[in-house]
This record gives sequence, structure tokens and C-alpha cells, in this order.
Amino acid sequence: MPRINLRGVAKNYGVAGANAVSGLDLEIGDGEFMCLLGPSGCGKTTTLRMIAGLENLSAGEIQVGARMVDSVGAGIFVPPEKREMGLVFQSYALWPHLTIERNTDFGLRLRKVPKAEREERVQRVMSTLGIEKYRDRYPSQLSGGQQQRVALARMLAVNPEVLLLDEPLSNLDAALRLEMRAELKRLHREFKTTIVFVTHDQWEAMTLATTIAVMSEGHLQQVGTPNDIYDRPANRFVAQFVGNPPINILELGDTPTPVAASAGQWLTAFSGGLAEAGSVGIRPEALKVTTGTAPEGAFSGKAEVTGILPTGGSWIVELTVPGGKLFQTTHEMPAIEQGETVSFWVEPRALHVFNKAGNRSATADQALRPARRH
Amino acid sequence: MSSSPIARSAGPVPASIPSSGSRLNALRYRAKVALNGPTTFIGLLLAGLFTYLIVMPVLSILFDAVRVQFGDERRLKASAGDFTTYYLERAFTSRVARDLFWGPLANTLTVAASAIALAMIIGGLLAWLLSRTDMFGRRWFATALIVPYMLPAWTFALAWTTLFKNRTVGGQPGWLEAMGLTPPDWLAYGRLPITIILALHYSPFVILLFGNALRRFDSQLEDSARILGANRLTVARQIILPLMQPALLSAMVLIFAKCLGEFGVAYVLGLPVDFDVLATSLYRSISSRQSGVAAVLAGSIMLIGVITLMIDARLLKEARRFVTIGSKGSMSRLSPLGILRWPATVFAALMFAFSVGLPLLTLALSTVMRQPGNFAPANFTLDYWIGRDLNTVAMKSGVLFTPDLWQAAWNSLSIVGVASVTSGVLGLLVGYVVARTPVRPLAAFLRQVTFMPYLVPGIAFAAAYLSLFAVPRGPIPALYGTAAILMLALIADQMPYASRAGVAAMMQLGKDPEEAAQIAGAGWFRRLIAIVIPIQKGALTTGILLPFISGIKGLSLFVVLAVPGTDVLTTYSLRLIDYHYTQAANAVVLIIAAISYFGTLAGQKLTKSNLAQGLGN
Repeated sequence: MPRINLRGVAKNYGVAGANAVSGLDLEIGDGEFMCLLGPSGCGKTTTLRMIAGLENLSAGEIQVGARMVDSVGAGIFVPPEKREMGLVFQSYALWPHLTIERNTDFGLRLRKVPKAEREERVQRVMSTLGIEKYRDRYPSQLSGGQQQRVALARMLAVNPEVLLLDEPLSNLDAALRLEMRAELKRLHREFKTTIVFVTHDQWEAMTLATTIAVMSEGHLQQVGTPNDIYDRPANRFVAQFVGNPPINILELGDTPTPVAASAGQWLTAFSGGLAEAGSVGIRPEALKVTTGTAPEGAFSGKAEVTGILPTGGSWIVELTVPGGKLFQTTHEMPAIEQGETVSFWVEPRALHVFNKAGNRSATADQALRPARRH
Repeated sequence: MSSSPIARSAGPVPASIPSSGSRLNALRYRAKVALNGPTTFIGLLLAGLFTYLIVMPVLSILFDAVRVQFGDERRLKASAGDFTTYYLERAFTSRVARDLFWGPLANTLTVAASAIALAMIIGGLLAWLLSRTDMFGRRWFATALIVPYMLPAWTFALAWTTLFKNRTVGGQPGWLEAMGLTPPDWLAYGRLPITIILALHYSPFVILLFGNALRRFDSQLEDSARILGANRLTVARQIILPLMQPALLSAMVLIFAKCLGEFGVAYVLGLPVDFDVLATSLYRSISSRQSGVAAVLAGSIMLIGVITLMIDARLLKEARRFVTIGSKGSMSRLSPLGILRWPATVFAALMFAFSVGLPLLTLALSTVMRQPGNFAPANFTLDYWIGRDLNTVAMKSGVLFTPDLWQAAWNSLSIVGVASVTSGVLGLLVGYVVARTPVRPLAAFLRQVTFMPYLVPGIAFAAAYLSLFAVPRGPIPALYGTAAILMLALIADQMPYASRAGVAAMMQLGKDPEEAAQIAGAGWFRRLIAIVIPIQKGALTTGILLPFISGIKGLSLFVVLAVPGTDVLTTYSLRLIDYHYTQAANAVVLIIAAISYFGTLAGQKLTKSNLAQGLGN
């Protein structure tokens, strides 16, 4: 049974025609670590706040476990304080007038948990997160990372079955963020809580999530495992949003650039014509470069090397092709020189073909990716 | 694991079919959301309260302007309450219109304009010296030059009369007159002293607002111009001044709004030579029971106030185009004054002497001297403070032994105290509702209605209260002569500042801390007690203390609404002036000045707030 179920959820802030969230159907399984991923303004935080009950729905319903918590159709609304969830805010929202201990046991006191048990639970969650020594301090006396831990501890203390996290790592510096990411993954294993995590950072989503839901402009774009999202993006938006440097896109429209035209010709030759193809995507690491000749059967062409950018342990190579540029990434030092003319090629199964509406072409996948592949 | 690619094209929400049942349920859903916690309910209560305390009095006085007033029936041959244009004609077109309205209007506008110009020059120069030069003693002056603002404006008017009062008016003469030098009327009363005193009193506005803007000015903007070859004058004219425009404009508008409602100074110094401004003309109409004309005058003052603020909003909108995003290059470099360092310091010292030292010293000396201007040792006495069995008609003992003083002091503290605490709490509640209610029109209404008294100068507002509450209406008995009317008027008068402070505090707090408590399971009341109020303790204290101090030294509301039984310190001293008990009156004014000054200092210490934040109170 899914822990959280969203059906036809929509949110309109009163601006005509502008839905912050539109017709969202999403199932979040028990014990899942679900990431809502998307650019800012895509409706992911609104979705999270609707699950928490802090935002009301314009249409649709939300069910948590067996309990309906929101239903516009049936006139049901359970206020946030009765939903028994945990939510960690982007700003942490620690109460500045309470000590760390009082911040942490706030929820337990509200639930009238007996003193002995309360102290034991607070002690346990504080030591798990390594904040016992700050027990008597106030939030303003802690660093960002420590505050973050308190914000987590405060919610974990009441042991919620659902923990919601709203970009909790975005205010931390890079090193702390890595540490907290590992910490979150550990906590997920330890507390077996269902976690819904909002982020615009694809790395965060990739490294943490068991399932990712990609959103754009209020619409759900794709739900899948991190690998699914990266290897089989459902549409051009997902393909372009996930991956850094971004995927190379060749437009096959009415007036294609020479390199796109040659990709189109190759597709026709390979699969006997794909009328629906609108564009082709090539991940930078799928692009191969050689000073010799490209292998038979692969999509290939000539390019001039116009830039080699070391990024520390890997390289980004800028290739100028007739009518455009392609970017390649490689983990081996490129054995080519700037200004050199080289051959590039791509294995057929590494090509992503999108139809004219921008959705992944199933026909092309059948042709390019033999069925024995996963 | 299988992927489930759900690609959707943008389109309308698949809303459920709007059958009547589901529509009803959707309404039920909205209602449940809106009524979760009593926020909206409290908002509705507040809206009702402010409609009664703010909108009704204003409407009532506007109606009074076009309705036959009680007592005028026979003259107008109509019954009370009928429509009439008599008062409008009387105030605007009759033979007495010049004395009632046009003359006072011209005086108000010219006095305000000259006071603003003078305050700009003095305040602007001082602001620049304080914030951008290496003048001596800048820290000390930065506090000292703000002191005039902490004292009631008519303190200076009294000091002026103590020095310059001549034989035109009876009672104790001024020091100069007593020493045989008769000051001419134009120096002793009327336009000149009123203008100078208002300019000195309000120049701290310029020092604070303009000085703050100068300090926050990004020196990189200036450096860029210098590097491109602009000299200091060009930089000042083309870079600094245009960017300072918003600060200068708001200082100007603030001073104008204050001058419009200024009563005490014009009353003390204008009366002897029949120099009327709108506020004193309104006061005369009220005290001579011409309530219809008073309504017209009060309405006109409100209208001018509204127009001023509309112009202000417009100008600020224009000027806001310039507002640069704050950067790291803050202003820290000071211009060396070189040889002018000493003259600049002397100028600042002189300004302090004229605006604080001299007036206070004069007042203080006047309370211990029997004969004005006579500095012989035998002439000095403490009788006016602590004397007993004195040989006068009414003041048989020194002011400190007069029960009336303590009654007035108690009235001041209790009336202003209750009003300030109430408006502070109401302000925080307004802030809470504005920040939290899902019913947006309610939030907008509360913001606007609590801002309304800002447009209405105190004396016009007092006239409005008189108009509404002088007679019993419905279940409310006639409140004139009670402390309740003073409290209610004061609460309403303070609401713009209280609600602005409350809204700012709640907006700054944001929703997160409270939502975190909500998620943790805390209901509305619990959140208010355990989270919101403790966090907002500081804001609440400021929101109570600043209005309290401005209320203690306030005059224009009280002068219309107070009766001898509800005298506060300010009206008590005004009564003493009217009876020519000069020394006693000056002593009371000194007490008010001391409360106001030390109160402000204590307030700043206690709340670690900056006076500039309380500007306009």
C-alpha cells in the first residue's frame, strides 16, 4: 500500500490560467526516498506543502496511509497539526527563543509523552545527529550545519511516518552538504521513514533518491529510479534538465543544421525512416572522438576541436560541427589538440530520439536499443 | 524497476465535473481551510473594531460638514440633520472665509514651506557633516542634535515667549522686555518664531533620514564617477544628490504632514497677533461651538493630508527607479574638512545651543526666578517648584505640591499607557492576521483601515471623535469628558504605527517557525503563546514604548478632547499658560520634556532599537 497518494492534485494561487500545480497523480511507496526534482517555480515546494497541509488544494485529493487528509471533492481537510508528519524547512525555522533541547522536545511535550521516555528519545535522536553538546545553547549560537541537524532532530524526535524535506541542504556549503547527504541516507535506513525531498539539485536527487519525480511548470514530467531518469528521459525537458554538462540536442525540424541533417539521414538509413522524429539527444559522455576513423554503423561526422576545458579529473571538449557545437566529456586526457579536425561518433543505442512533441520515441527505442537490453 | 514516463502537454486541470454536490463539498473544503484556527475570525473582529474606531469618526465629521448642526436650526431655518451647504459657503466663500480658512491655509502652507526649506538647509548640512566629514565630536553631536525631536515642539515656543514676550500681551513680560528692550511684535510672535521653531524641531528628521541614506550610500558608485574624471562637485550634483532624492523627499513630506497638524507652537506664538494656521483655526471653531465649520476645516485638513501622501507615494515611486541593490561597498570614507574643521564644529555646537541648550536653560531659569530677566540673587527662588502657602490666587503651593499636577501626571501615564499597550497588542494581532489569513481581502482591508489615521492630522482626528462620540449613539453613551474617549482616540491615532510595526515584525518572522510548530502538532493558541509572542517580545515592547512616549508629549488630540477632569500633563500646562502662571507652566513643560527624553533613551536601551525606526511617531 502506498504511504502517500496524490490524485488529480492542482493548485491555483488565483492568477487566471496559471496553475502552480496541475493534475498531479503521484504515488509514494512506504519507506521510499522520493525526490521531487525541478527548476525553481516548477511547483515542487507547493506540492510538498500541500502534502503537509500548509497549502490547500484547488482540486484533487491526498491520501496518507488509509486516511484521506485532503479532498476537495468530498470536503475533507485535516489541518497540518493533525497530520503527524515531519517537515524540515529550507530556512530550518528553529525557534530562536528556545534552547536546542526545548526545540527538540517541543513535539514530545505537545504529545504529553512522559518525562522519562521524552528524555530518552531526545537523548537518542540528539546523539544520533551529534548535537548533544549543544543541548543548552540557542539556535543563533550554532553554525548552519548544526542548525540543520537540530531541525532534523526536532522532526525525528516524534518519529513521524512521513518526513518532508524542503531543500534542506541548499543553505550549506559544499563539504557540509556532502556530509549531510550521507547522513540523510543513513537516517533513512535507520528510521525507515518515508521521505519526500524537494530539490532543484540533480546531484542531490541522483545520490539520495530511490525514486525521482521530475516536475516542470506544475506538471509531472517523469517518475522513475535515478537511472531511469538519466538513461531513458521521458521527454526533452527531463533530458535537458538532468545531466551536466547538458545533453546535446540536434533539431531535425524543417531547416536542420548540416550536422542535424546528417543525423536525420543516418536515422533513416539505420531504421528505415522515423517520420515522427523531431530531435536527437546525445549525452556528452556518449560522444566519442578519434583522430582516426569512426567505427562502421555508428552515427559519425567530422568536427573541429575549438576548446578543451579541464575540470579536474575530467575534461570538457568543445567540438564545432557544421552548423553548431557539440560538447563531449571524457575522463581520459584528450589526445587531441585545439584546432585539430577529428571524427566524432555515437553508438546507436546511446542516441535519444524525441518526437515532434518532444516526447521520447518508443519506435526509435525499439529500433536503436535491441530488446535484450534492459 | 520500470519507468513510467508521464509526459503531459500543458493544459487545463482535469477538474471534477461541477455537479452541485461536489461544488458544495469544494465549498466545505474551502471553509474548513479558512476556519482552521481562529485567525480569520479574529481578523473579522478587528475589522469591525477599526471600522467603528476609525472609519466611523471620519465619516461622521465629513457628514457634519453638510448637515445642519444642533443649535443652528433657527439661523438656517431647517431642522438639525438636514442637508446644507451653509458651512461650506461660510468656510470657503463668505466674508469671514478669509479669517476662517483662506488666511490660515496660506499661513500653514507658507510656514510649512519655509520651515521645510530651513530644516533642509540646517539638517542637510549637519547630516553631511555628521556622516561624511571628519568634523570634531561627530559621535556626540550625532546624539545631541537629535534631542530637539525628543522634546515637545512647544517647549521651544514657551522658551521663546519667555525671552521675547513684549507688552502686547498681559502677564509676566519676557526677559528682554523686563530689561527695557521691547522686542517688536514680528520677532516676538507669529510667522517668524513659528517658522524658526518648527524648522529647528524637525531638522532631526532630515539629519536622521538624509544621514542614514548618506551612510548607506555605496562609495563604489562615487568612485566609478571619479575614475571617469568627474570632480567632487559633479559627483555631488550628478551622482549623490539624485540618489539621495527619495530620502530627502520623504523627510520633506514627513515635515509637511507634521506642520499641517502642528497645534501647540502656533497656539502659543500665534494667538497674541491673531496669526492663525489651519490647526488653530479648527481649534477656535471647536471651542466656539461652530461644529459645522469645524467639520469643514477638519475635512480640509484631512484632504490636504491625503493629497500630500498621494504626491509622496507618486514621487517615491518615481524615485524608486533609482534604488540600487545594496552591495558590499558601504560608505566609510570621510572627506577631510581641512581648515574648515573648526568652523564646522562651531556651527554644529551653535545649532545645538540654539535648538536644545538655550531653550531648556531659559525654561529652567524661568522657573526659579520671580521677576523675568532680573539676575540678582534675591530674585531666585524654588517656590514655584516646592513652595508652600504662596501669596497667589490659585497656585498656593509650588507645582510639585499641587495635587492637580499629580492628577494630570497620573492621567497622562494611565491614559497613554492603556492606549499604548492596547494599540501595541492590536498592532501585533493585525500583523498576525495580515500575515496569516488565507482571506486576502480581509488582510488588505485591515492594512488600509489602520493606515487611515496617518492621513488625518491629530487635531482633525480629535474633531472627528468629538463629532461621533459627543452625543450618545445607540448603545454607546456620550463619551465626551471621560478618559475613555481619550484612550479610544489615542488608540486609533497610534494604529498606523502599531500595525505597521506589527505587520513588519510578522512578515520578517515569516511563516516558517510557526508552521514548524504546526507540523509538530501545536494548535493555534499554543503556537501564539509558545512561539509567536515570545519571539515578538522585542517588537511588541518597541510597538508599545514609542507610541507611549509620543503620546506623553502629544497635545493636539488632547487639547480638543480633554476637560479639566481628564487633564493630562500637556493640557494642564496649556491651561497654566492661559492663566499666566508662566513659571508653573514652564516647570510642567520641563517635566514633560524630561519624561519624553529619558523615556526615549530608556526605550532605545531596552529594545536596542534605533530612533530612526520610530520616526513619524
